[in-house]
Amino acid sequence: MTLQQVVWSTELDVEQMVDTYGNMLFRICLVLLSNEKDAEDVVQDTFITYLTKSPNFNDAEHEKAWLITIATNRCKNMRRYNIIRKHMDINDLQLYSKEDENYGLLDHLMRLPTKHKVVLLLHYVEGYKVDEIAKILTITTSAVKKRLQRGRELLRERYRKENENEF
Amino acid sequence: MNFEKIKEAVTSIEMSKAMENRVKENIGKRKSVHMDFKRWIPVASAFAILLAIMMGIPYFNKDGELQVANFAITAYALSDDGKELNTTITSEQAAIELATNDRMGITGMGGDGGGYIFTDVMLKITGEQIESITYTMSHGKFVEDVTFTVEDVTFTSKKHPGAEWLRSEKIDFVISEPGSGVYEGIRNIGKTYTVTYNEQEKYKYTLAIPHDGNNVIVDDVIIKVNVTYIDGNSEQQDILVTQEENSVLLKLLK
Repeated sequence: MTLQQVVWSTELDVEQMVDTYGNMLFRICLVLLSNEKDAEDVVQDTFITYLTKSPNFNDAEHEKAWLITIATNRCKNMRRYNIIRKHMDINDLQLYSKEDENYGLLDHLMRLPTKHKVVLLLHYVEGYKVDEIAKILTITTSAVKKRLQRGRELLRERYRKENENEF
Repeated sequence: MNFEKIKEAVTSIEMSKAMENRVKENIGKRKSVHMDFKRWIPVASAFAILLAIMMGIPYFNKDGELQVANFAITAYALSDDGKELNTTITSEQAAIELATNDRMGITGMGGDGGGYIFTDVMLKITGEQIESITYTMSHGKFVEDVTFTVEDVTFTSKKHPGAEWLRSEKIDFVISEPGSGVYEGIRNIGKTYTVTYNEQEKYKYTLAIPHDGNNVIVDDVIIKVNVTYIDGNSEQQDILVTQEENSVLLKLLK
């Protein structure tokens, strides 16, 4: 039974829905948008779309992939139409991540171009394979591979520059 | 560099409890009004008697005199099954009830944002020797549903591709089905527009009415309908738009 079926059969258990997928979506949106307010808005909009469109899902994985697709599309739209690009202050990360040793990596990740960080997120965090990412983002598998490769290169490069500056 | 650490870093991110509660509360609120946030279409049954196109509707002008306008105004919309429903507006009110489709999930792309009830209601004029019609709303605006793909977008800016095109097209809201490559937008026509009589069918402009946040119309809306005849004369009738529970009411002002 997908979450959707559970939700509708129990008269809309919003709590359960947010508990199950809220943090997963928020992480993706926060990294993509680098702005907590925008991320919150997208998460909220994604759930509202979910509830009002009530699409049919084959299984829980299908449902999760659908939510990620909606959220990442919203994030892309929001970045595309935000005239002033915003970037989260590294100090604000402590509000959402308790592990301070992660701040450096998160900051580097957030500064990557959206198209690179989204594939890195889906691959390394959500565990999707290249062909699955291609379906979620509706791009080719070769594009996913290139973006993964480029994303890794960019991260390496930024770490290298940071280390150079420290000396 | 160990890329597996990305997972560790990103999964350390969590919504604050306050944010989580806010999201739950807001979703709950939006869901609770979902049943009221619907497209509005005319219901033919109760007003079937009005369906016949009436020429020369008698009405009282502002001085209390009985006048006969030489045109009739019809409110119409497509029902869910694609049938066109018409209701001629007279001084007796015509109700337009809520239908089942909605426009939740719309993403505001700028402009004045949300706060509108998007109806499916369109207006049409019937009469003789009419050259053009000008509609003017006291509140709210006329909007048009548009569908487009990425191929339709003119990329005028490298920095913000598409944004200028959307602004130039006056498209304030955009929604898309993931993977479809097709976008649905709402074009802002503005408070007023003029259409030639013979081209009315080309302009599918609907009414967007401001609401108070709970889908209740803030103020009564008056739509001025000014008809210009071929001989240069013109006539005007005003439509009052109000709300009663789940219906929007249209009637000619006497």
